[in-house]
Amino acid sequence: MTRSQRVTSSNFNSGFRESLSLWQEEVVQLGLVDPVTTEVVRLRCAEHHDCYT
Amino acid sequence: MESSTDVFFREVLGERAPVADQLAKIHALAWEVVDPSLLDLCRLRIAMLLGCESELGISNSDLDSQKIASLSQWSSSNSFNECEKSCLRFTEEFIVDVSSIPDSSAFTVRDHLGEEGFVNFVNALLVVEQRIRLQVVWRKIFQEVSA
Repeated sequence: MTRSQRVTSSNFNSGFRESLSLWQEEVVQLGLVDPVTTEVVRLRCAEHHDCYT
Repeated sequence: MESSTDVFFREVLGERAPVADQLAKIHALAWEVVDPSLLDLCRLRIAMLLGCESELGISNSDLDSQKIASLSQWSSSNSFNECEKSCLRFTEEFIVDVSSIPDSSAFTVRDHLGEEGFVNFVNALLVVEQRIRLQVVWRKIFQEVSA
């Protein structure tokens, strides 16, 4: 599916974005799943959500 | 004061308190950056679609009961304005397949909320959706474990 750019900037509400990043960092640092599986899932989610950060 | 859902997450996460803390923090922020009534409509619609009974019994805003009762028929209901309808359409598409949301749906929400409002709405929706999906899975697992 082809998608257009939907916003000209993502530099809104940096506090919220930083908090989202901190939550995700805490999740991937959990030791219950092995690091390789965690990274595969993280990359798959990032691709699915169009997240290139 | 922590909600019953926050307490549930803390019970599940146990000693992994930083994860629970960050989740509670971003959830609180989500309700600060988006109109609570609008986000509550979308939260309830997500809970309906994902079958999260515990979320359906919660109110995070002053939504009237008639509006809540007609939420599943939002597209044909006169109870919802065009902004709410655009956000509910986006929400449903977000839940079904976040990678296939049409430009038209995204641009309509952006037109109503503005660029910053649109970005905040999508981020808040992500938080609300993840929190509900976690509840659905964890409550199911805990029921099976305790049965």
